[in-house]
Amino acid sequence: MNDVESLAVDWSEIWIITAVGYTVVFIALVLLVFVFKNLPNFLNFKFRKKEKKVNYNSKDPEGEKYLSGEVSAAIGMALSLYFKEQHDEESGIITIKRVSRTYSPWSSKIYGVNNNPR
Amino acid sequence: MPHTESKKLKSFGILNFIIVKKFITIFVILGILYLIPLMAGGNLMAQNLVPEASESGSGLLRGLEQFWDYTGFANASIGNLIMIAVGLFFIFLAIKYDYEPLLLIPIGTGILLGNIPFQPGVGVGIYEEGSVLSYLYFGVTQGIYPPLIFLGIGAMTDFSSLISSPKLMLLGAAAQIGVFGTFIGAVALGFEIHEAGAISIIGGADGPTAIFASAKLAPQLIGSIAIAAYSYMALVPVIQPPIMKLLVSKKERKIRMKPPRAVSKLEKMLFPIIALLLTTFISPTAMPLLGMLFFGNILKESGVTDRLAETARTKMIDIVTILLGVTVGASTQASVFLTSSSIKIFLLGAASFVLATAGGLIFAKIMNLFLSEGNKINPLIGAAGVSAVPDSARVVQMEGVKSDPSNHLLMHAMAPNVSGVIGSAVAAGIMMSFLS
Repeated sequence: MNDVESLAVDWSEIWIITAVGYTVVFIALVLLVFVFKNLPNFLNFKFRKKEKKVNYNSKDPEGEKYLSGEVSAAIGMALSLYFKEQHDEESGIITIKRVSRTYSPWSSKIYGVNNNPR
Repeated sequence: MPHTESKKLKSFGILNFIIVKKFITIFVILGILYLIPLMAGGNLMAQNLVPEASESGSGLLRGLEQFWDYTGFANASIGNLIMIAVGLFFIFLAIKYDYEPLLLIPIGTGILLGNIPFQPGVGVGIYEEGSVLSYLYFGVTQGIYPPLIFLGIGAMTDFSSLISSPKLMLLGAAAQIGVFGTFIGAVALGFEIHEAGAISIIGGADGPTAIFASAKLAPQLIGSIAIAAYSYMALVPVIQPPIMKLLVSKKERKIRMKPPRAVSKLEKMLFPIIALLLTTFISPTAMPLLGMLFFGNILKESGVTDRLAETARTKMIDIVTILLGVTVGASTQASVFLTSSSIKIFLLGAASFVLATAGGLIFAKIMNLFLSEGNKINPLIGAAGVSAVPDSARVVQMEGVKSDPSNHLLMHAMAPNVSGVIGSAVAAGIMMSFLS
């Protein structure tokens, strides 16, 4: 009997939790959607202001913004060549490091006596 | 040439055989040497040997009996054996089918560890105070590991697909129907309301979130909930495709979506900060999870903390995954785990995944009704609204390619996928704020 009563009380609460919970999840994400839908506009607005100050000589500013694949490939190639070339301008200092061959004591009795870690 | 090779191999085999034979001989001799004093009663001393030979014999038996009582063989129950089989099955699934191996191997091994039978009171079990495993398990029961995992996830997630088409975020919210549907189902199956709340988070398809919520709401169910969540996450490639086929028509599956626009660095930097503030203000109880998720993303996107982001997404998340996996696995000690409620939780888990997937797919179809011809979305990506990053997005990609080999949906599916993570964390936060 008690069980039935407690279940009956619970159900209204459960429906409320479900409805409120699902709504809140939606509200949270809808707010994020709203913010990020408008964020580019907001950022562009700032940039547009800056752009206005720049005097474009070109008749077709939109066309200027578009880069064909070939142009970007050419730019990429030029950059790549430039950075590869940089490698050649390295410092002329040459350091010769003396490599001393360490003495190998594997069969030396006297070494074993003198350098016994124990 | 092959002849000499085989000759070499042959001689190598013979050499091996000789070595093995030598070892066996040595071990047999040593064994006999050790057995003689044991059979004589433990200490082979001249003074003990003669007068009390019979008593020493019973001493040996008693010793052996005591030893036997301490072994796993004496304490094993059917439950332990079943769970060990489950653990082995997890390891098999991970190795053979590559289902979430990073999780299933630690969890599978953990199940083996947790179900090695021992005499109670020895101080080794995960539920015994002061044992090593219980100290490691502390991170689970107190909800320490899940936020750390989220930090790593944040540091490895690229939110750009989400930023480029924010409307897809709604799919992540729609799939949370799995959480709330499971909540109702759990109450209907007779679970107490807190337990139902904890179980419902399985529908979020997010292991760390489910563990975090159950640690706060129903700590006694952590093992079952975590195992259910992780095993269904591993089974996403099996569960989702039939539902997709059922709900999405062939024509709809072929819909091509506009390529996502390029996202500026500034937008990427602003996203975690704005999302952190917005979501945690709405659901402060989800702060440990969402806070760490976005903190990790700030580390990644700020561009000045590469070292920290690198650690968070590699070493740290690996360490925490190992600890979380093993301890969650070990928490499935048969005496605690093999109950009727675990079976119900497993059933609810399956239902919640189906419901969440269907919710996402149907919502995507509804969204299509309001979208213009060129902007339509492929309803398949709705299935990625269940978190299970990145598996469900991968499933979407595979299903999309099956219908049209040149239609790649992965990038689009990542948007609902990561928003599903945010959505399930918010849902868990709401559950906790209502119920705790």
